[in-house]
Amino acid sequence: MSLATDFQEQLAKGELHVQLCNSCGARQMYPRQRCLTCYSKDLGWARASGRGRLLSYTVVRAAPPTAFREDVPYGLGIVKLEEGPQLLARLTPGADGEFADYRCDGAVVFAPADGPEIENRPVAWFAPANTD
Amino acid sequence: MAKALEEPVFLGIGELAAGRFPERSFMEALTDVAIMALDDAGLKPQEVDMLMLAPCLHSMEDQADLIFSRVVEDLGLSGTVKANMMIHSGGSTSDNLARLAASVIATGEAETVLVVQTDRWGSADLNAMIDMLTFNGIPREWERPAGQNFNAIGALLTRRYMHESGATEADMASICVALREWAQLNPNAMFRGKPLSVEDVLRSKVVADPLHSLECPMMGDGATAFVMTSERKARSLTDRPLVRIAGSGGVVTHFSLAQEADLATLGWPGAATQAYAEAGWGAEEAQFAQVYDSYPVILAIAVEGLGIAPKGEAAKRFAAGDYSPGGKFPINTNGGILSGGHIALGGGMALLIEAVRQLMGRAPAERQIAGARRGIVGGTGGSYSDAQVLLLERLD
Repeated sequence: MSLATDFQEQLAKGELHVQLCNSCGARQMYPRQRCLTCYSKDLGWARASGRGRLLSYTVVRAAPPTAFREDVPYGLGIVKLEEGPQLLARLTPGADGEFADYRCDGAVVFAPADGPEIENRPVAWFAPANTD
Repeated sequence: MAKALEEPVFLGIGELAAGRFPERSFMEALTDVAIMALDDAGLKPQEVDMLMLAPCLHSMEDQADLIFSRVVEDLGLSGTVKANMMIHSGGSTSDNLARLAASVIATGEAETVLVVQTDRWGSADLNAMIDMLTFNGIPREWERPAGQNFNAIGALLTRRYMHESGATEADMASICVALREWAQLNPNAMFRGKPLSVEDVLRSKVVADPLHSLECPMMGDGATAFVMTSERKARSLTDRPLVRIAGSGGVVTHFSLAQEADLATLGWPGAATQAYAEAGWGAEEAQFAQVYDSYPVILAIAVEGLGIAPKGEAAKRFAAGDYSPGGKFPINTNGGILSGGHIALGGGMALLIEAVRQLMGRAPAERQIAGARRGIVGGTGGSYSDAQVLLLERLD
């Protein structure tokens, strides 16, 4: 099994995992062949809290890659998880289909997409965190 | 292997106009620009010891021909040239080409190196090129499935930069306007004769928030070349001013954009520190900079990391006109990539060549910087994965 397949299968179950080093306990993203802290190959997975901070975001409105024409407009964000690792995520639109609730450094939370969507696009989705 | 330590210098340059030239074939443009650079250097083709090629991105087939010595046959170098090779680091290719050409000359591996680049991005199918680019610096497992693409990368960096610096959309747009003003002075620029205002940029369609279509690079056909040789050989050929590399620095920070720890800084400060230490001079002692600008934010971040503007101030200083023609410090005097035309790896080459041209005192009068002796060159490739700095100096 490839690292990508493992990661995508966890997403399909509605879970976000990051890579865990079984030797030194370091957590890393994206998944690698080696732990970048101790260079062990003994690597597994740890379920992430799903809480993070949005470092930046955009809404693709035009000129997407051909395979994404039907997705426009779609939100992309760089999320820094509270565990430390960073990843690129799709952003869940608001009820109006827009993305006005996102801010740089705003709190976001993993919001898994449903089955058909995750099958189509095996990526992590995030939404604004309810900070009340 | 290494015999003597020679001083490598830029001796000749060549550049064809950037734009849409569907009738100008790939090999015609490539041989024309190569001969132009050799004529400029005062050299016969057979005096070239090594041929170093930048990749072309419009066609894998043309690129393979370059790797496997097509240009050797087409320039009549069969049996005389020692090596034919391709160097590729995306947008920073030109900087690495100059660095490696200089290294082989310094060690005596080669006396004279011809560097050539040609691309036909302007004549290629735009959607095919957008798709192709997602295979050039975007991780297939982790970012491509989300719809990552280069305009989105530019937008993600712009959003973070604006957040940290307080720069406005109008400030970012003013970078495009400054470059367009420089392009009016460059007959080779794709957007010469097409003035641009901040309002034009802000009225153009939003491609990926907060990036407008007029802040995205326009793909062009282009061809660029330069010749480097030893100072000793150059002095036997000409009394003209030569250009040397006084210092260089580089930092590679990431492959995947989302793995970049500092999105509004990138690798520039580390690369600049190395280069200035080697040269023994700093930004305040240079007369100009030519820095990669495939999106306005790329230039703003670099200008700050290179120490030309304080952190967070570059876009505001562009808006104040500091870097425009007639301003305090000329930046991208050929119009850069955004107004010169994005000719693939030639975007960085054109900036490097412009630096050499300025230091030789051979720019057209309307954009020649009086007394230019030191210039800063910056390049970056992929998802702005690296920061490469060359500090160039005039040798009289």
